[in-house]
Amino acid sequence: MDSLTDRVGLGWRPDLAAGILEHLDDIDLLEVIADDFFAAPHSQVRALKTLAAQVPVVLHGISLGLASSAPAETRRLDQMARLVDQVRPEFWSEHLAFVRAGGIEIGHLAAPPRNRSTVDATAANLDRAEAAVGAKPLVENIATLIDPPASPLSESEWLNGILAASPCALLLDLHNVLANGFNHGYDPFEFIRQIPPERIAGIHIAGGKFVSAPDGSQRLLDDHLHDVPDPVFDLLEETAARAPAPLTVILERDGDYPSMDSLLAQIGEARRALAKGRARRYHPVEAVR
Amino acid sequence: MSSDATQLEIFLARLYTDAHARADFKANPREEAKRAGLSEEQSAALERLDWIGLEMAARSFAKKRHQKRRRTWFAALKTRLSRFRFFRFVH
Ligand SMILES: [Fe+2]
Repeated sequence: MDSLTDRVGLGWRPDLAAGILEHLDDIDLLEVIADDFFAAPHSQVRALKTLAAQVPVVLHGISLGLASSAPAETRRLDQMARLVDQVRPEFWSEHLAFVRAGGIEIGHLAAPPRNRSTVDATAANLDRAEAAVGAKPLVENIATLIDPPASPLSESEWLNGILAASPCALLLDLHNVLANGFNHGYDPFEFIRQIPPERIAGIHIAGGKFVSAPDGSQRLLDDHLHDVPDPVFDLLEETAARAPAPLTVILERDGDYPSMDSLLAQIGEARRALAKGRARRYHPVEAVR
Repeated sequence: MSSDATQLEIFLARLYTDAHARADFKANPREEAKRAGLSEEQSAALERLDWIGLEMAARSFAKKRHQKRRRTWFAALKTRLSRFRFFRFVH
């Protein structure tokens, strides 16, 4: 695999706009939060189209709640379809999460119980999404502070179940794997080895922080407010060593923004991790961890 | 899809967003799960709940909802102001 086919980009945030536009030569692509544009005025959608004409853009959804036993709402799918039609991104993505139930808005991405029922319901929602939007989204694994109850399947078994039931590609969030591994007691490298490498098309990298739990233990919070820690780059190398397809890597940062130089340095670090992993593909050695 | 699964998601959504529901459930898990129409199996699974994770997740969701409300307010304000040519230019 030629490492040149892998790309590394950044999540588009209005606060970073000036810095991003100044350094487009160092950024292969941008990931835009689709939901920010669902109710935006025409002028903002036009600006997004102009941006997409200058640099490859992918759209990222955060509120469809596809991993739910309830059918995804037609109104929300139509909003995504309209934006995809207007912006023509390279691809779109959504999380394997439920975000509402029975009229209650959770406000963020929640992990559903991991069982056969939610695997099948998610696959049905992915079909609905494809019917509305014209293409299936890349599906992203989420971070969760609570191990979802009533879950006979492990996280990797559940994810593999969805990938088996639905022909969609995976957007593998490596900080989410790191956080869930730390919080719920599994080896993140083992997790990556358990998922089918040929399904991995996208990668998210981000940073979080350790927070104290009421019992004095520590949990890793995926807040996207910190620099990407070294273990995430190690996981990226491992993924690049296993995945046969070109990878699209996005650095996610949602606040407490560092300098543009720091963000570009993290993008550079991701490129180095990809190259190291790709080099290992030719001389596979079992990583000792 | 199975209404059992839907009932469980609704119950979880309530636990994730409502401190009173969490307190009631913690005081009497079996009874509350039964009242929500959950099956025996689901009720038993909920008794083994990751309580600490639940509290931390609930706190994190509440923060996100608060941030979202603020963002929505700002977005509405920006949309209103964007009608003025000057504001559009400086943004
Ligand atoms: Fe992510």
